[in-house]
Amino acid sequence: MVNGYQATSLKEALKILAKESVTPYSGGTDLMIDPEEHATFLFLARISEMKNIIEDTEYLRIGAACTFTEIIENELVPEILKEAAAQIAAPAIRNLATIGGNICNGSAKGDSALILFATDAKLRLVSSRGERVLPIAEFYLGRKKTALKSDELLVEILIDRINLSNYYYKKVGARDALAISRVSFAAILNVADGKIVNCMTAFGAVSDIIIRRPDIDAMLVGKTTKEAKVVKKEYIAAYDQAIIPIKGRISAEYRKAVCMNLLRDFLESNGI
Amino acid sequence: MMINFILNGQKVVSTAKANERLLDILRTEFACTGVKCGCKEGECGACSVIIDGKLVNSCMVAMGYVESCTVMTIEGYRKTERFAVLDTSYASVSAVQCGFCTPGMVLASECILAKNPNPTEAEIREGISGNLCRCTGYNAIVQAISIAAKEGKGLW
Amino acid sequence: MENISGSIKKKDHEAKINGSALYVDDHLMDGMLYGRMLHSAKAKARITKIILPELPEGYLIVDKNDVTGVNRVAIIIHDTPVYAEDTVEYVGEPILMVVGPDDQVVETILHKIVVVYEEKIPVLDMLTSDTVFFDYNYTKGDMDKALAEADRVFIETFQTGYQEQAYLETQGLIAYPQDGRMTVRGSMQCPYYVHSAVANAIGCEGKDVQIIQDVTGGGFGGKEAFPSILACQVAVAAKKANKPVKVIFDRREDMEFTSKRHPSLSTYKVAIKNGEITGMDIDVLFNSGAYTTLSAVVLQRGLICANGVYRIDNLRVGGRAVKTNTVPCGAYRGFGAPQTFFAVEMIMDHIAKEMGLDSLELKEKYMVKQGDSTSTSGKYHFHVPLPEMIQRIDELTDYRAKRKQYQQQIGRYRKGIGLSMFFHGCGFTGSGERDIIKAVAKIRKNPDNTVEILASNADIGQGLKTTFCKIVADTLGISYDRVYIDNPDTDRVPDSGPTVASRSLMTVGGLLQRAAEKLKKEWQEGKEQVIEEHFVEPDFVIPFNLKDFSGDAYPTYSWSVNAIEVEVDTLTATTKILGAWGIFDVGVPIDMNIVMGQMEGGFLQGIGYASMEQMDYNAKGIIRNNSFSDYIIPTAVDVPNLVAEIMNNPYTHGPYGAKGAGELPLVGAAPAYVEAMENALGANLNKVPFTPEDVMKILQGVNT
Ligand SMILES: Cc1cc2nc3c(=O)[nH]c(=O)nc-3n(C[C@H](O)[C@H](O)[C@H](O)COP(=O)(O)OP(=O)(O)OC[C@H]3O[C@@H](n4cnc5c(N)ncnc54)[C@H](O)[C@@H]3O)c2cc1C
Ligand code: FES
Ligand code: FES
Repeated sequence: MVNGYQATSLKEALKILAKESVTPYSGGTDLMIDPEEHATFLFLARISEMKNIIEDTEYLRIGAACTFTEIIENELVPEILKEAAAQIAAPAIRNLATIGGNICNGSAKGDSALILFATDAKLRLVSSRGERVLPIAEFYLGRKKTALKSDELLVEILIDRINLSNYYYKKVGARDALAISRVSFAAILNVADGKIVNCMTAFGAVSDIIIRRPDIDAMLVGKTTKEAKVVKKEYIAAYDQAIIPIKGRISAEYRKAVCMNLLRDFLESNGI
Repeated sequence: MMINFILNGQKVVSTAKANERLLDILRTEFACTGVKCGCKEGECGACSVIIDGKLVNSCMVAMGYVESCTVMTIEGYRKTERFAVLDTSYASVSAVQCGFCTPGMVLASECILAKNPNPTEAEIREGISGNLCRCTGYNAIVQAISIAAKEGKGLW
Repeated sequence: MENISGSIKKKDHEAKINGSALYVDDHLMDGMLYGRMLHSAKAKARITKIILPELPEGYLIVDKNDVTGVNRVAIIIHDTPVYAEDTVEYVGEPILMVVGPDDQVVETILHKIVVVYEEKIPVLDMLTSDTVFFDYNYTKGDMDKALAEADRVFIETFQTGYQEQAYLETQGLIAYPQDGRMTVRGSMQCPYYVHSAVANAIGCEGKDVQIIQDVTGGGFGGKEAFPSILACQVAVAAKKANKPVKVIFDRREDMEFTSKRHPSLSTYKVAIKNGEITGMDIDVLFNSGAYTTLSAVVLQRGLICANGVYRIDNLRVGGRAVKTNTVPCGAYRGFGAPQTFFAVEMIMDHIAKEMGLDSLELKEKYMVKQGDSTSTSGKYHFHVPLPEMIQRIDELTDYRAKRKQYQQQIGRYRKGIGLSMFFHGCGFTGSGERDIIKAVAKIRKNPDNTVEILASNADIGQGLKTTFCKIVADTLGISYDRVYIDNPDTDRVPDSGPTVASRSLMTVGGLLQRAAEKLKKEWQEGKEQVIEEHFVEPDFVIPFNLKDFSGDAYPTYSWSVNAIEVEVDTLTATTKILGAWGIFDVGVPIDMNIVMGQMEGGFLQGIGYASMEQMDYNAKGIIRNNSFSDYIIPTAVDVPNLVAEIMNNPYTHGPYGAKGAGELPLVGAAPAYVEAMENALGANLNKVPFTPEDVMKILQGVNT
């Protein structure tokens, strides 16, 4: 085909990517908004290595070319990610749009990316030179800027097999379907033997990069709920400092207020 | 190099470039003008088609993506028995006004029922949530789909 | 239910549902060229130079110099240039068109054109405008006295924003010269408006112009005047190229640069004496944008509705439509009425609160009834069904109880319910129908005993083909299948007026009924017969005088009561609509499904207007909400519980008792929604759209 390659294996795709000037095309729902006239696409949808959802001892592995529909329908996927995926756009977009595209577009509004931040997911990036595994927070460099090299593909997303069932998730959009996040918030909190063993929060659509601050969340870790209450004020104040919404169509004040409200509600819903 | 796919049950070959929009090629090269263009941004659903059994916005699909796929537009779907059921149910509640959203809406209806022959009202609404209709307020369309679910027992 | 109200398969159903209906963009013609407009990038500037790239063979530029007639679009006042002359007055003003055989090449050329502007300071804010396009004032009673004697005067200003029609099919037309004539076809509501505009622009006689409406993907007013502008541009291009030229707007172009609902600011001064409302002094300001288009008539309707459905003995109403360097506003379903109905409903609510009454109690006290005098000293000649509508709404929603119950709430989720009551004046404002339009409609019986309807009204989705055919078939006593109507073609149909103002069915449908009655009497088997009917004003009408706004502005009114129930999430400041109920009187429904479709669709548009549809320009006068991702309209999941009910209240002078239906359902949604928000938030609100950001401000004010 002219202006395109349809790869059927990862190896083939990486070879093309190393040699030619091509744009990886997964679901196309970002690329096709305003496609470059002379773009040559490398179609990823038929690369089976990028379409799997499997579990091993360490990780849940989600192929980057899995569509949101596939993610919602898969039994292995944790509820928090399903819930976020189900609120993306509408069915027809979810049938095309992929989780890999949601990450590689580098947007802080990505609804699945938010969950991957909150769960400290890792990304498996592969090129014909080799591969590397990068924590998602290190993948994002700035507004629409990522650490992806031009000869690399995001092949898999690796989610630690920790307990994700006690989660908090809220997407705030302009309406109940087909809405880009104005603010989004995801959090996980696990308590074992009376103590908080992990607390992971992430704020989407407020800044150039999704906000994930393990250093602040660490304030609560190792504490009982009661002890957490003591540092609550300090914890909230730290986020109050950390969240500086960038200007946008929707006012920074509004988005900030929603972030703080949701953070408080998350704590309260966990008895903090 | 050409792009091969199955369009409405027929093998076709397109000379389009891989980065062209399926929507444009369906309308121009294949004269499928029942596929409507309302935005070219994935936001309205007027361009909906079914690829390999799934509803998609054809404006969001590059031609290279459809290589070896099965594509169904309203032009193919209207020949089916299922269409006849939806046709009657849409007519019975006058769910078609300006009609610009309608071909996409009908294909969305098909995908709702194919997945779930007895959808609840909420499931129907969710199933058409990517198809904007400015005329009807959606009630009649939702009704039409639930009537089709009843009348078309066994077809889906 | 009357017999005629039983629903039938719509005439246009089959072709639309199976995808075979041809909209303008679906038409191809031999040698057809594609045109794209170069729009001004500046809000106010002098064009000092236009640098064109070299054009490939077969491509051409069309601009003001190619206008062979008058470089003005004939709308009401001829001030809109076909193509910009030396200056541009808003971002988006058409400067020239690039035309050629390949759409992509046309686009490439367009991007290479450089326009050198000498920028001027634009006037964007209507409050700072120094050009008043239209200024109307009227009075009733003695407002000065009411104010002087008042023991309280309430003053409040209400604001409404833009609303974009957001029809699913964007604007588009094809023009082609043929045998020395010019044909323009495409998406439109008013073929004869386009007809006179094109003749004027290319400088020919009316007989040399043909306008054909194609299947049209929605209009809502947006295809009332705008197609006249586009038609002139495309016709000029086709004449220059001597080939067919097609122009289809893309969505962003359509949203940014075509007409929309006028933003407004309305200030109400209400005099109270001894606990009674004694007068309203109302000042209305509409942002016209850069040209006048339909602002005069939009403003007139807005002013006539300014006191709502209330009996106010002393009234002074003034309004201005002013110029700004923004996109010209125009017609949108409701036509000026949604703006003032919002204001009056809210002020009534706020006054009630001050008096310690529930807003419904106060409203009921002043509600008009049959025989009362209108704002313009005309008369409500017919039954006003508001009391039974209120009762029905209360049955459906438990409004009165909920309203009280929701007054004091704490907790994350807070509910509210609001109610509005309103009318829509049916047909043209004032004497337009009698003096200007003078509608003519025909029916022709063919030798095979089928009957064709000949009228210039366009079915743009509202079901006119079906309802017209039902009226004629039923009157003649023949089967519906034997009556047909094509899309209007000015070569074939008389001028029965535009498809606007909720007039088509009531007025033209009435002419058709009369024509059919006549044909029935004169029916001759196997012969061709043509019957023509002309508009005659009903004799009960008190003639309207525009000079002092006196008399019957409308022969009759359609009525409605809406209630909306909401739930606000105080953490996110977002609002869920729990239910929306509307009781509507549009006379006898000529087809129940069709009327329900109008009510539900219009009501949802109104809810969008109230809650989520936000559009504004920035400091440079650029509208940035120009796509469906930035200009949000309701989807199928946003108002799942929307209930419309019809209250039958036949209009003795309408066909089968029908009156205007198209616009009514949009008019009262905004005040019902905002009243509900007030109920939930415990605050007085005064603007639409009322967005989550607005809610958050209130919540923060309340919480801290
Ligand atoms: C109408 C509409 C509604 C939307 N709503 C939402 C929403 O609610 N929430 C949301 O988060 N997003 C939304 N989006 C955005 C978009 O759908 C998502 O970001 C989606 O996940 C993108 O995935 P894709 O596969 O379609 O990306 P593509 O367009 O295929 O790719 C996006 C970018 O990533 C690169 N890329 C893709 N895959 C890889 C890979 N494996 N390796 C390397 N590079 C890669 C591409 O080169 C491109 O630069 C919406 C989009 C539309 C059109
Ligand atoms: S045209 Fe494809 S979604 Fe609107
Ligand atoms: S019928 Fe007009 S947009 Fe749906």
